Amino acid sequence: MAQPEQKEEQQPKPLRGLYDRVNISVKTLNIIIVVLCAILIACMAFGISNRGYDVTFDTLGGTSVESQIRMYGELVEAPAAPSREGYEFEGWYLDEGLTRPWNLGQDTITGSITLYAGWKEK
Amino acid sequence: MADKKKISDLLLNNAMFIIIALAVIYISVKVPAFLGLPSIVNVLSLTAAKLPIALGIGGCIVLTGTDISAGRVVGLTACISASLLTTAFKVFPEMTSAPPILVVFLMVLVVGAVVGFVNGFSVAKFKLHPFIVTLSTQLIVYGIILMYLKNGTNNGQTLSGLTEGYRSLITGTLFKIGNVAVPMYVLYSAILTVIMWVVWNKTTFGKNMFAVGSNEEAANVSGVNVSRTIIMVFMLAGIMYAITGFLDGARIASANANTGLNYECDAIAACVIGGVSFVGGIGRISGIVIGVLLLQIIFAGLNFLSVDANMLYIIKGLIILIACAIDMRKYLVRK
Repeated sequence: MAQPEQKEEQQPKPLRGLYDRVNISVKTLNIIIVVLCAILIACMAFGISNRGYDVTFDTLGGTSVESQIRMYGELVEAPAAPSREGYEFEGWYLDEGLTRPWNLGQDTITGSITLYAGWKEK
Repeated sequence: MADKKKISDLLLNNAMFIIIALAVIYISVKVPAFLGLPSIVNVLSLTAAKLPIALGIGGCIVLTGTDISAGRVVGLTACISASLLTTAFKVFPEMTSAPPILVVFLMVLVVGAVVGFVNGFSVAKFKLHPFIVTLSTQLIVYGIILMYLKNGTNNGQTLSGLTEGYRSLITGTLFKIGNVAVPMYVLYSAILTVIMWVVWNKTTFGKNMFAVGSNEEAANVSGVNVSRTIIMVFMLAGIMYAITGFLDGARIASANANTGLNYECDAIAACVIGGVSFVGGIGRISGIVIGVLLLQIIFAGLNFLSVDANMLYIIKGLIILIACAIDMRKYLVRK
Protein backbone atom coordinates (compact mmCIF):
# COMPACT_ATOMS: atom_id res chain seq x y z
CA MET A 1 0.00 0.00 0.00
CA ALA A 2 2.80 2.36 0.88
CA GLN A 3 4.56 3.77 -2.14
CA PRO A 4 7.93 4.95 -0.94
CA GLU A 5 9.18 5.73 -4.44
CA GLN A 6 6.56 8.43 -4.75
CA LYS A 7 7.98 10.32 -1.82
CA GLU A 8 8.66 13.75 -3.17
CA GLU A 9 11.81 15.64 -2.35
CA GLN A 10 9.97 18.72 -1.27
CA GLN A 11 10.95 21.46 1.12
CA PRO A 12 10.05 20.46 4.67
CA LYS A 13 6.88 22.23 5.70
CA PRO A 14 7.62 24.01 8.95
CA LEU A 15 4.00 24.31 10.00
CA ARG A 16 1.63 21.42 10.24
CA GLY A 17 -1.31 20.32 12.24
CA LEU A 18 -3.83 22.98 13.13
CA TYR A 19 -1.39 25.68 12.02
CA ASP A 20 -0.67 24.57 8.49
CA ARG A 21 -2.69 27.41 7.01
CA VAL A 22 -1.47 30.08 9.38
CA ASN A 23 -1.11 33.24 7.38
CA ILE A 24 0.21 35.90 9.68
CA SER A 25 3.50 37.64 10.32
CA VAL A 26 5.38 37.33 13.58
CA LYS A 27 5.03 41.06 14.11
CA THR A 28 1.24 40.98 13.90
CA LEU A 29 1.17 37.92 16.11
CA ASN A 30 3.27 39.76 18.72
CA ILE A 31 0.73 42.57 18.77
CA ILE A 32 -2.13 40.07 19.07
CA ILE A 33 -0.43 38.31 22.01
CA VAL A 34 0.13 41.61 23.81
CA VAL A 35 -3.47 42.72 23.20
CA LEU A 36 -4.87 39.37 24.35
CA CYS A 37 -2.73 39.49 27.49
CA ALA A 38 -4.03 43.00 28.18
CA ILE A 39 -7.62 41.77 27.78
CA LEU A 40 -6.90 38.82 30.07
CA ILE A 41 -5.48 41.09 32.76
CA ALA A 42 -8.44 43.47 32.33
CA CYS A 43 -10.87 40.56 32.75
CA MET A 44 -9.10 39.39 35.90
CA ALA A 45 -9.12 42.95 37.26
CA PHE A 46 -12.81 43.30 36.43
CA GLY A 47 -13.57 39.94 38.06
CA ILE A 48 -11.61 40.89 41.17
CA SER A 49 -13.23 44.31 41.47
CA ASN A 50 -16.69 42.72 41.24
CA ARG A 51 -15.84 39.92 43.58
CA GLY A 52 -18.40 38.06 45.62
CA TYR A 53 -20.66 35.07 45.10
CA ASP A 54 -24.40 35.41 44.79
CA VAL A 55 -26.51 33.45 47.22
CA THR A 56 -30.08 33.42 45.94
CA PHE A 57 -33.06 31.92 47.69
CA ASP A 58 -35.84 30.11 45.86
CA THR A 59 -38.74 29.79 48.26
CA LEU A 60 -40.71 27.55 45.89
CA GLY A 61 -43.98 29.40 46.36
CA GLY A 62 -43.33 31.06 49.71
CA THR A 63 -42.65 34.73 50.48
CA SER A 64 -39.52 35.95 48.74
CA VAL A 65 -36.16 36.20 50.50
CA GLU A 66 -33.54 38.77 49.51
CA SER A 67 -30.40 37.44 47.85
CA GLN A 68 -26.96 37.98 49.41
CA ILE A 69 -23.41 38.50 48.21
CA ARG A 70 -20.80 36.57 50.15
CA MET A 71 -17.05 35.98 49.84
CA TYR A 72 -15.27 32.66 49.50
CA GLY A 73 -15.20 30.72 52.76
CA GLU A 74 -17.89 32.78 54.48
CA LEU A 75 -21.12 31.53 56.01
CA VAL A 76 -24.51 32.46 54.59
CA GLU A 77 -26.19 35.02 56.82
CA ALA A 78 -29.31 33.38 58.18
CA PRO A 79 -32.28 35.04 56.44
CA ALA A 80 -35.67 35.52 58.06
CA ALA A 81 -37.67 32.35 57.50
CA PRO A 82 -40.13 32.66 54.59
CA SER A 83 -43.76 31.77 55.05
CA ARG A 84 -46.27 30.01 52.85
CA GLU A 85 -49.89 29.39 53.41
CA GLY A 86 -50.71 25.92 54.67
CA TYR A 87 -47.06 24.94 55.02
CA GLU A 88 -44.38 25.06 57.65
CA PHE A 89 -40.79 26.07 56.72
CA GLU A 90 -38.23 23.42 57.58
CA GLY A 91 -34.92 24.69 56.21
CA TRP A 92 -32.81 25.43 53.15
CA TYR A 93 -31.62 22.87 50.61
CA LEU A 94 -28.98 22.94 47.88
CA ASP A 95 -31.15 21.21 45.29
CA GLU A 96 -34.74 21.46 44.18
CA GLY A 97 -35.24 17.80 45.06
CA LEU A 98 -34.54 18.77 48.70
CA THR A 99 -32.03 15.98 49.25
CA ARG A 100 -28.96 17.99 50.32
CA PRO A 101 -29.69 20.26 53.29
CA TRP A 102 -27.63 23.44 53.77
CA ASN A 103 -26.35 23.96 57.30
CA LEU A 104 -26.38 27.73 57.84
CA GLY A 105 -24.08 27.53 60.83
CA GLN A 106 -21.44 25.33 59.21
CA ASP A 107 -21.44 25.22 55.39
CA THR A 108 -19.19 27.80 53.76
CA ILE A 109 -19.49 29.39 50.34
CA THR A 110 -17.21 28.20 47.51
CA GLY A 111 -19.25 29.55 44.60
CA SER A 112 -22.56 31.09 43.61
CA ILE A 113 -25.47 29.01 44.91
CA THR A 114 -29.22 28.92 44.99
CA LEU A 115 -30.87 27.61 48.12
CA TYR A 116 -34.35 26.07 47.97
CA ALA A 117 -36.87 26.23 50.76
CA GLY A 118 -38.15 22.99 52.22
CA TRP A 119 -41.84 22.95 53.18
CA LYS A 120 -43.85 20.58 55.32
CA GLU A 121 -47.64 20.51 55.06
CA LYS A 122 -49.27 21.78 58.22
CA MET B 1 19.54 45.58 19.42
CA ALA B 2 19.88 41.81 19.38
CA ASP B 3 19.67 41.78 23.16
CA LYS B 4 16.50 43.80 23.06
CA LYS B 5 14.96 41.34 20.63
CA LYS B 6 16.01 38.44 22.83
CA ILE B 7 14.33 40.01 25.84
CA SER B 8 11.09 40.72 24.00
CA ASP B 9 11.15 37.16 22.62
CA LEU B 10 11.57 35.83 26.12
CA LEU B 11 8.76 38.01 27.46
CA LEU B 12 6.35 37.08 24.68
CA ASN B 13 7.09 33.35 24.74
CA ASN B 14 6.56 33.24 28.48
CA ALA B 15 3.75 35.81 28.67
CA MET B 16 1.34 33.25 30.09
CA PHE B 17 3.68 32.23 32.90
CA ILE B 18 4.40 35.86 33.74
CA ILE B 19 0.70 36.72 33.99
CA ILE B 20 -0.02 33.67 36.14
CA ALA B 21 2.94 34.45 38.41
CA LEU B 22 1.80 38.05 38.83
CA ALA B 23 -1.75 36.91 39.54
CA VAL B 24 -0.53 34.43 42.16
CA ILE B 25 1.59 37.11 43.86
CA TYR B 26 -1.38 39.51 43.88
CA ILE B 27 -3.74 36.86 45.26
CA SER B 28 -1.37 35.76 48.00
CA VAL B 29 -0.88 39.37 49.10
CA LYS B 30 -4.62 40.00 49.09
CA VAL B 31 -5.62 36.70 50.72
CA PRO B 32 -2.61 35.27 52.63
CA ALA B 33 -4.58 32.07 53.35
CA PHE B 34 -3.98 31.17 49.68
CA LEU B 35 -0.43 30.16 50.60
CA GLY B 36 -1.63 28.20 53.63
CA LEU B 37 -1.24 24.44 53.81
CA PRO B 38 -4.94 23.57 53.29
CA SER B 39 -5.04 25.69 50.16
CA ILE B 40 -1.83 24.17 48.75
CA VAL B 41 -3.09 20.64 49.40
CA ASN B 42 -6.39 21.63 47.78
CA VAL B 43 -4.61 22.83 44.63
CA LEU B 44 -2.51 19.65 44.52
CA SER B 45 -5.59 17.44 44.89
CA LEU B 46 -7.44 19.34 42.18
CA THR B 47 -4.41 18.97 39.94
CA ALA B 48 -4.36 15.24 40.61
CA ALA B 49 -8.07 15.00 39.79
CA LYS B 50 -7.70 16.80 36.45
CA LEU B 51 -4.40 15.20 35.45
CA PRO B 52 -5.54 11.88 33.93
CA ILE B 53 -7.86 13.52 31.39
CA ALA B 54 -5.10 15.94 30.35
CA LEU B 55 -2.64 13.05 29.96
CA GLY B 56 -5.16 11.37 27.66
CA ILE B 57 -5.91 14.44 25.57
CA GLY B 58 -2.18 15.19 25.31
CA GLY B 59 -1.77 12.13 23.07
CA CYS B 60 -4.53 13.32 20.74
CA ILE B 61 -2.91 16.75 20.48
CA VAL B 62 0.47 15.18 19.69
CA LEU B 63 -1.31 13.60 16.70
CA THR B 64 -2.24 17.18 15.61
CA GLY B 65 -5.77 16.41 16.69
CA THR B 66 -7.86 17.09 19.73
CA ASP B 67 -10.71 15.43 21.56
CA ILE B 68 -13.76 17.38 22.67
CA SER B 69 -15.73 14.31 23.72
CA ALA B 70 -13.47 13.91 26.77
CA GLY B 71 -15.63 15.74 29.30
CA ARG B 72 -18.76 13.81 28.40
CA VAL B 73 -16.93 10.48 28.64
CA VAL B 74 -15.86 11.54 32.14
CA GLY B 75 -19.51 12.29 32.88
CA LEU B 76 -20.76 8.96 31.53
CA THR B 77 -18.19 6.90 33.40
CA ALA B 78 -18.81 8.88 36.61
CA CYS B 79 -22.55 8.22 36.27
CA ILE B 80 -22.00 4.51 35.63
CA SER B 81 -19.70 4.24 38.66
CA ALA B 82 -22.07 6.23 40.87
CA SER B 83 -25.13 4.25 39.76
CA LEU B 84 -23.56 0.87 40.51
CA LEU B 85 -21.38 1.56 43.56
CA THR B 86 -24.22 2.97 45.59
CA THR B 87 -26.52 2.06 48.41
CA ALA B 88 -29.64 3.39 46.70
CA PHE B 89 -30.09 1.65 43.35
CA LYS B 90 -32.23 4.20 41.58
CA VAL B 91 -31.00 3.48 38.08
CA PHE B 92 -31.24 -0.28 38.49
CA PRO B 93 -34.03 -0.78 41.06
CA GLU B 94 -33.83 -4.57 40.81
CA MET B 95 -30.26 -4.63 42.15
CA THR B 96 -29.76 -5.18 45.85
CA SER B 97 -26.02 -5.05 46.43
CA ALA B 98 -23.16 -3.21 44.76
CA PRO B 99 -20.91 -5.24 42.44
CA PRO B 100 -17.18 -5.50 43.32
CA ILE B 101 -15.37 -2.19 42.78
CA LEU B 102 -12.85 -3.81 40.43
CA VAL B 103 -15.64 -5.07 38.14
CA VAL B 104 -17.14 -1.58 37.89
CA PHE B 105 -13.69 -0.10 37.30
CA LEU B 106 -12.98 -2.50 34.45
CA MET B 107 -16.44 -1.81 33.04
CA VAL B 108 -15.90 1.93 32.85
CA LEU B 109 -12.47 1.36 31.30
CA VAL B 110 -14.18 -0.64 28.56
CA VAL B 111 -16.76 2.11 28.04
CA GLY B 112 -13.99 4.71 27.73
CA ALA B 113 -12.01 2.49 25.37
CA VAL B 114 -15.07 1.90 23.15
CA VAL B 115 -15.72 5.64 22.75
CA GLY B 116 -11.99 6.10 22.12
CA PHE B 117 -12.09 3.36 19.49
CA VAL B 118 -14.97 5.05 17.66
CA ASN B 119 -13.06 8.34 17.72
CA GLY B 120 -9.78 6.76 16.65
CA PHE B 121 -11.31 4.59 13.95
CA SER B 122 -13.15 7.52 12.36
CA VAL B 123 -10.04 9.70 12.46
CA ALA B 124 -7.74 6.99 11.11
CA LYS B 125 -9.96 5.41 8.47
CA PHE B 126 -12.36 8.11 7.37
CA LYS B 127 -9.64 10.76 7.64
CA LEU B 128 -12.12 13.06 9.34
CA HIS B 129 -10.83 15.91 11.42
CA PRO B 130 -10.84 14.93 15.11
CA PHE B 131 -12.91 18.05 15.87
CA ILE B 132 -15.85 16.73 13.84
CA VAL B 133 -15.53 13.14 15.00
CA THR B 134 -15.27 13.96 18.68
CA LEU B 135 -18.02 16.57 18.39
CA SER B 136 -20.37 13.83 17.23
CA THR B 137 -19.26 11.36 19.90
CA GLN B 138 -19.58 14.15 22.48
CA LEU B 139 -23.24 14.61 21.54
CA ILE B 140 -23.90 10.87 21.37
CA VAL B 141 -22.32 10.28 24.78
CA TYR B 142 -24.31 13.17 26.25
CA GLY B 143 -27.52 11.63 24.94
CA ILE B 144 -26.53 8.30 26.46
CA ILE B 145 -25.85 9.96 29.85
CA LEU B 146 -29.28 11.63 29.85
CA MET B 147 -31.04 8.40 28.91
CA TYR B 148 -29.01 6.39 31.41
CA LEU B 149 -30.02 8.78 34.19
CA LYS B 150 -33.71 8.42 33.19
CA ASN B 151 -33.44 4.68 33.74
CA GLY B 152 -35.23 2.98 36.61
CA THR B 153 -36.73 5.26 39.23
CA ASN B 154 -33.99 7.87 38.97
CA ASN B 155 -35.77 10.22 36.53
CA GLY B 156 -32.68 12.23 35.63
CA GLN B 157 -31.76 13.11 39.21
CA THR B 158 -28.28 13.46 40.66
CA LEU B 159 -26.82 10.12 41.75
CA SER B 160 -25.50 10.02 45.28
CA GLY B 161 -25.36 7.75 48.31
CA LEU B 162 -22.16 6.05 47.19
CA THR B 163 -20.83 3.00 49.03
CA GLU B 164 -18.29 3.52 51.76
CA GLY B 165 -15.79 1.20 50.05
CA TYR B 166 -15.80 3.21 46.82
CA ARG B 167 -15.53 6.56 48.58
CA SER B 168 -12.74 5.54 50.93
CA LEU B 169 -10.78 3.90 48.11
CA ILE B 170 -10.65 7.22 46.25
CA THR B 171 -10.96 9.95 48.87
CA GLY B 172 -9.52 8.11 51.88
CA THR B 173 -6.48 9.63 53.55
CA LEU B 174 -3.19 8.80 51.86
CA PHE B 175 -1.14 10.63 54.48
CA LYS B 176 -1.42 13.77 56.54
CA ILE B 177 0.66 16.93 56.38
CA GLY B 178 -0.03 18.64 59.67
CA ASN B 179 -3.79 18.26 60.01
CA VAL B 180 -4.46 18.35 56.32
CA ALA B 181 -5.31 15.02 54.74
CA VAL B 182 -4.00 14.23 51.26
CA PRO B 183 -6.56 12.05 49.47
CA MET B 184 -5.77 8.67 47.91
CA TYR B 185 -6.46 9.77 44.33
CA VAL B 186 -3.30 11.88 44.42
CA LEU B 187 -1.38 8.60 44.57
CA TYR B 188 -3.40 7.11 41.67
CA SER B 189 -2.75 10.19 39.58
CA ALA B 190 0.97 9.98 40.32
CA ILE B 191 1.01 6.32 39.25
CA LEU B 192 -0.86 7.16 36.03
CA THR B 193 1.62 9.94 35.30
CA VAL B 194 4.54 7.51 35.64
CA ILE B 195 2.78 4.95 33.44
CA MET B 196 2.04 7.55 30.77
CA TRP B 197 5.64 8.80 30.93
CA VAL B 198 6.86 5.26 30.25
CA VAL B 199 4.31 4.80 27.45
CA TRP B 200 5.27 8.08 25.77
CA ASN B 201 9.02 7.80 26.14
CA LYS B 202 10.02 4.17 26.42
CA THR B 203 7.66 2.15 24.24
CA THR B 204 7.48 1.61 20.49
CA PHE B 205 3.88 2.78 20.64
CA GLY B 206 4.98 6.09 22.13
CA LYS B 207 7.68 6.59 19.51
CA ASN B 208 5.20 5.73 16.76
CA MET B 209 2.77 8.26 18.20
CA PHE B 210 5.34 11.05 17.95
CA ALA B 211 6.37 9.89 14.48
CA VAL B 212 2.77 9.95 13.21
CA GLY B 213 2.21 13.30 14.92
CA SER B 214 5.21 14.99 13.35
CA ASN B 215 4.78 13.56 9.85
CA GLU B 216 2.17 10.98 8.97
CA GLU B 217 3.50 10.19 5.50
CA ALA B 218 7.07 9.78 6.68
CA ALA B 219 5.90 7.53 9.52
CA ASN B 220 3.93 5.42 7.04
CA VAL B 221 6.92 5.13 4.72
CA SER B 222 9.18 4.03 7.54
CA GLY B 223 6.82 1.19 8.39
CA VAL B 224 4.68 2.56 11.21
CA ASN B 225 1.11 1.30 11.16
CA VAL B 226 -0.45 4.77 11.17
CA SER B 227 -4.09 3.73 11.54
CA ARG B 228 -3.39 1.40 14.42
CA THR B 229 -1.32 4.04 16.19
CA ILE B 230 -4.08 6.64 15.86
CA ILE B 231 -6.77 4.23 17.07
CA MET B 232 -4.62 3.18 20.03
CA VAL B 233 -3.88 6.79 21.03
CA PHE B 234 -7.59 7.61 21.08
CA MET B 235 -8.41 4.39 22.96
CA LEU B 236 -5.73 5.12 25.54
CA ALA B 237 -7.17 8.63 25.86
CA GLY B 238 -10.66 7.14 26.34
CA ILE B 239 -9.33 4.92 29.11
CA MET B 240 -7.78 7.94 30.82
CA TYR B 241 -11.12 9.78 30.68
CA ALA B 242 -12.80 6.72 32.17
CA ILE B 243 -10.33 6.75 35.05
CA THR B 244 -11.00 10.47 35.54
CA GLY B 245 -14.73 9.74 35.67
CA PHE B 246 -14.27 6.86 38.08
CA LEU B 247 -12.21 9.10 40.40
CA ASP B 248 -14.56 12.05 39.99
CA GLY B 249 -17.69 10.16 40.99
CA ALA B 250 -16.22 9.42 44.42
CA ARG B 251 -14.35 12.72 44.67
CA ILE B 252 -17.50 14.83 44.23
CA ALA B 253 -19.59 12.17 46.01
CA SER B 254 -22.27 12.44 43.36
CA ALA B 255 -22.71 12.38 39.60
CA ASN B 256 -25.23 13.94 37.25
CA ALA B 257 -25.60 14.97 33.62
CA ASN B 258 -23.31 17.95 34.18
CA THR B 259 -20.42 15.98 35.66
CA GLY B 260 -17.38 16.42 33.46
CA LEU B 261 -18.86 19.36 31.57
CA ASN B 262 -16.08 21.40 29.96
CA TYR B 263 -13.33 19.25 31.44
CA GLU B 264 -11.86 18.94 27.96
CA CYS B 265 -11.41 22.73 27.78
CA ASP B 266 -9.31 22.70 30.94
CA ALA B 267 -7.36 19.71 29.73
CA ILE B 268 -6.66 21.15 26.28
CA ALA B 269 -5.67 24.48 27.82
CA ALA B 270 -3.35 22.71 30.25
CA CYS B 271 -1.69 20.78 27.43
CA VAL B 272 -1.13 23.86 25.28
CA ILE B 273 0.23 25.85 28.22
CA GLY B 274 2.48 22.88 29.00
CA GLY B 275 4.00 22.97 25.54
CA VAL B 276 2.10 20.17 23.79
CA SER B 277 1.92 21.83 20.42
CA PHE B 278 -0.88 21.76 17.87
CA VAL B 279 1.91 21.54 15.29
CA GLY B 280 2.02 17.86 16.19
CA GLY B 281 4.71 15.49 17.38
CA ILE B 282 5.78 17.79 20.19
CA GLY B 283 4.97 17.43 23.86
CA ARG B 284 6.16 16.10 27.17
CA ILE B 285 4.41 14.55 30.15
CA SER B 286 6.20 16.96 32.50
CA GLY B 287 4.79 19.84 30.46
CA ILE B 288 1.24 18.53 30.87
CA VAL B 289 1.70 18.18 34.64
CA ILE B 290 2.97 21.76 34.87
CA GLY B 291 0.13 23.00 32.64
CA VAL B 292 -2.56 21.37 34.78
CA LEU B 293 -0.90 22.63 37.96
CA LEU B 294 -0.65 26.22 36.68
CA LEU B 295 -4.29 26.27 35.60
CA GLN B 296 -5.46 24.89 38.94
CA ILE B 297 -3.33 27.45 40.81
CA ILE B 298 -4.81 30.36 38.89
CA PHE B 299 -8.40 29.10 39.18
CA ALA B 300 -8.10 28.18 42.84
CA GLY B 301 -6.66 31.65 43.40
CA LEU B 302 -9.48 33.42 41.56
CA ASN B 303 -11.93 31.25 43.48
CA PHE B 304 -10.28 32.41 46.70
CA LEU B 305 -10.89 35.97 45.60
CA SER B 306 -14.56 35.08 44.99
CA VAL B 307 -14.36 35.94 41.30
CA ASP B 308 -17.63 35.15 39.55
CA ALA B 309 -17.72 31.76 37.83
CA ASN B 310 -19.07 33.36 34.65
CA MET B 311 -15.96 35.51 34.38
CA LEU B 312 -13.80 32.40 34.87
CA TYR B 313 -15.16 31.03 31.57
CA ILE B 314 -14.01 34.15 29.74
CA ILE B 315 -10.62 33.97 31.45
CA LYS B 316 -10.29 30.29 30.52
CA GLY B 317 -11.10 31.03 26.89
CA LEU B 318 -8.57 33.84 26.77
CA ILE B 319 -5.91 31.63 28.31
CA ILE B 320 -6.44 29.01 25.60
CA LEU B 321 -6.31 31.69 22.89
CA ILE B 322 -3.10 33.23 24.26
CA ALA B 323 -1.48 29.84 24.75
CA CYS B 324 -2.24 28.96 21.10
CA ALA B 325 -0.97 32.32 19.86
CA ILE B 326 2.28 31.86 21.77
CA ASP B 327 2.60 28.28 20.55
CA MET B 328 2.06 29.48 16.97
CA ARG B 329 4.57 32.27 17.43
CA LYS B 330 7.30 29.87 18.54
CA TYR B 331 6.98 27.95 15.28
CA LEU B 332 6.61 30.99 13.05
CA VAL B 333 9.83 32.38 14.51
CA ARG B 334 11.62 29.09 13.82
CA LYS B 335 10.47 29.28 10.20
